[in-house]
Amino acid sequence: MTIRKYIALMRAGIMESLHFRLGTAVTLFANLIYLVLVYFLWKAVYASSGVDVVNGMTFNDTMIYLILATALFNFLEMFVVWDMSRSIQSGKIILDLLKPMSFRTYTFWSYSGSHVAQFVLAFIPTFIVVMIVTKGAIPMGLNLVWFLISVVFALVVNFSIEILVATICLYTESTWGVNIVKETIVLVLSGASIPLAFFPDSIRTVISWLPFRAIYDIPLQVLLEKGGSDTWLGLAKMYGLQLGWCVILYIAGVLFWNHSVKKITVNGG
Amino acid sequence: MSKKRGLKFYLSIYRKILIQDLKSKMSYRADFVISTIGMIMTNLAGFVTFIVLFHNFPTINGWDLNHMLFLYGFSLIALTPVQCFFDNNWNLRAMVYSGDFIKYCFRPVNVFFYFMSEVFDVKGLGQFAFGIATLVYAWAKIGIPVTFITICQAVLFLLTASLFMIAMMNVAAATCFWIQGSGYVMVIMFRFKDFAKYPASIFNEVFKAIFTFVIPIAFVAYYPSLVLLQPDNIPLLTWLSPLIGLVFFFLSYAVWMLGVRKYDFTGS
Repeated sequence: MTIRKYIALMRAGIMESLHFRLGTAVTLFANLIYLVLVYFLWKAVYASSGVDVVNGMTFNDTMIYLILATALFNFLEMFVVWDMSRSIQSGKIILDLLKPMSFRTYTFWSYSGSHVAQFVLAFIPTFIVVMIVTKGAIPMGLNLVWFLISVVFALVVNFSIEILVATICLYTESTWGVNIVKETIVLVLSGASIPLAFFPDSIRTVISWLPFRAIYDIPLQVLLEKGGSDTWLGLAKMYGLQLGWCVILYIAGVLFWNHSVKKITVNGG
Repeated sequence: MSKKRGLKFYLSIYRKILIQDLKSKMSYRADFVISTIGMIMTNLAGFVTFIVLFHNFPTINGWDLNHMLFLYGFSLIALTPVQCFFDNNWNLRAMVYSGDFIKYCFRPVNVFFYFMSEVFDVKGLGQFAFGIATLVYAWAKIGIPVTFITICQAVLFLLTASLFMIAMMNVAAATCFWIQGSGYVMVIMFRFKDFAKYPASIFNEVFKAIFTFVIPIAFVAYYPSLVLLQPDNIPLLTWLSPLIGLVFFFLSYAVWMLGVRKYDFTGS
């Protein structure tokens, strides 16, 4: 019975995101222009360096990594923090809290629909284009399956971070600030704006243990069979890190939420 | 708006509205502090990306770290006016839809002026400070002489550069008078500003033309800053940039006001 509830929420999410087709089209167009910049910038960077391989990444590797990171970013984008602040201001949060399902589960499953839609509409087309343009630079094999599993972990980690940050907003009543801090940290430390392979070694060691890497860097490494993910041990290590952070962030999120929700103050409603 | 009013009149009105806005902002002190921290964090993140990039590649297209930092600081300062004085553009769409926008049409002052004066975004000042620090550092490292002329050039071309981003955001915001759900347009335009901190010489001819005349991000830092970075070889577009900036600004203003007139018309 419980599964049916979740499926219903997911379906609603899929239909909702299909409704905003213009938004999707405009986002795709903007991404295209964004990728033009990324392309020219890295082309200039590699041209100036005079070597083909930098930190184990060729120009092609870097481009594939960054393009797919952008596609993943669109697919994983969530607005839990904004939704939360809006429902606090309007008082709607009371209704969310009264639902016969925990707020966390409800939010997760209503977002899952848009995740599915975005994955099919944005990520898969981008992936196919990259595959064709680079003519087989992406290995095709079991790594695709490992990638999908890794993306599910990434989704859970991303969601848990969102919920933790949204809970902070219950106290601060500042959404813009808290959200931008989160976004900045995630983008830099996850490899979405610059591949983690380019960071200096000492910093990279620290970053490699942080949860942000589990969102973009690990799925992409698994997909491209880099960073030792082509061996069983390497793959297990990456999954281990993702799973570990899933558990830690889940527990932290639940504890923090349960503690904070008692203090919630709502004006009006 | 048949009567022409002087600059002094508008300045005094601006001051009064500004004080009201700051008073209301001060009542959300925590939000203000966190937002400022957030602004500083985004700037730091951009900075870290830069440093990491240069850690691996000492020059990009002939531009070394100091020149790139100069460009970066320049773009941050040039982006301050749009952040500080024209931030209300972000609220335009919601106001047009809810109908609240009509209140601006009934005031005996310029609609555009009155609308923009309502919000002064203090967060922009953090960015300004960051930009100044970066620019001064790079200026000293490159060894650009500090004379009356160079300072004047810097100020004039910074002001010029700021016009372009203001113009882009005005047009992006004004789309809401015609297109429903145009929120994306603004978000995208705002993301284009990240392009500004790279030298436009990295693009090929087609995209260079697009980013110069269609989406003029190359004017936000690249062309105006050349007056100081390449004093021996200043391109024509650099000298023309103040003029082009004014043209872009007035065009965007015209589009914005056209939208207002259209809004009056339908009475929606």
